[in-house]
Amino acid sequence: MAKLKLALYWAGACGGCDVAVLDINEKILDVANLADIVFWPIALDFKYHHVEAMPDKSIDVCLFNGMVRSSEQEHLAKLLRAKSKVLVAFGSCACFGGIPALANLYTRAEIMERAYIEAPSNDNPNKTLPQTKTQVPEGELTLPELFETVLTLAQVVPVEYFMPGCPPTVDLILKVVNALATNSLPPAGAVIASNKTLCEECERKKEDKKITKIYRTHQIIPVPEKCLLEQGLLCMGPATRGGCGALCVKVNIPCRGCFGPPAGVPDQGAKLVSAVASIYQANTDEDIARMVNEVVDPAGTFYRFGLSNSMLKKKRLQRR
Amino acid sequence: MKKVSIDPITRLEGHGKIEIFLNDDGDVANTYFQVPELRGFEKFCEGRPVEELPRIVPRICGV
Repeated sequence: MAKLKLALYWAGACGGCDVAVLDINEKILDVANLADIVFWPIALDFKYHHVEAMPDKSIDVCLFNGMVRSSEQEHLAKLLRAKSKVLVAFGSCACFGGIPALANLYTRAEIMERAYIEAPSNDNPNKTLPQTKTQVPEGELTLPELFETVLTLAQVVPVEYFMPGCPPTVDLILKVVNALATNSLPPAGAVIASNKTLCEECERKKEDKKITKIYRTHQIIPVPEKCLLEQGLLCMGPATRGGCGALCVKVNIPCRGCFGPPAGVPDQGAKLVSAVASIYQANTDEDIARMVNEVVDPAGTFYRFGLSNSMLKKKRLQRR
Repeated sequence: MKKVSIDPITRLEGHGKIEIFLNDDGDVANTYFQVPELRGFEKFCEGRPVEELPRIVPRICGV
């Protein structure tokens, strides 16, 4: 059998997804036996023009990590879509927007202002901001346009598979490698993770189903065996797809939802708000007000990894 | 003036490109290094609970 052609790309990402691929350790040799890697900026010296020169659909599988927020990232998403038979949204940024999608709570102008002018490490007395075109004595320099908001990969191009996780775990990556090796990929549209919620996979004991106070993680040391949510810690488990191996909750840290919403849940944050509201013992308006105040960062907690994929998506822009 | 583009810079963490301008003799007249991306951690970390930041800022660079 001819070797598969595999591409890996990072758009708006941190590199953690690429390193997760290397975390499969010696199994990377199986990948090398199975596939020729034709594009992988973190590891191999192929340029954009090499990809542009490839025939359409000549890449068998492209693992695309990172969100899309610039004209360059959009171009690469469309380019790799055209060149690939199978496009995989790899990791929480490509699937849901990820942590960079928290930027959707601000305007592009606010972000640029903070990053290039206000931040204390800047030395920018003329308040210069990046421009898409800049004239220099030798000619013209160009930069991609930064979009107003963070988009998921599927908001830009059609996607065959979704591999959630920040980053996807080694087990899930191996599952995909094995599926490629045996030509047994699931039907298009599948999310390569569990179909249960994290809560259903979590081994902690759930008993009370009631809380009277929400704690911040530094305020209590949770009992290791008992449900974190029942101990008053906001745990995204009831609103998050399983398949991660319960990595965070096993070390006594509440889930933050990096695997995204479970099947059939359109809005991960709303689902957890509903779960918390149903177990919080609030009988008066004062109780309700107290509960709301105890959630110190609702957007950053309930939508830590998924703002682009949520119903709200972004801060409402002011009309001019 | 002839321009040589290295896009993207590979085998490192992060995104970058290099534009090299050559003069008529084919010598390097000037070179520009550009970073074509911004995610905005500088902005969206502001005001978040400090105990949550150890779970947010590792995603600045995951390599």
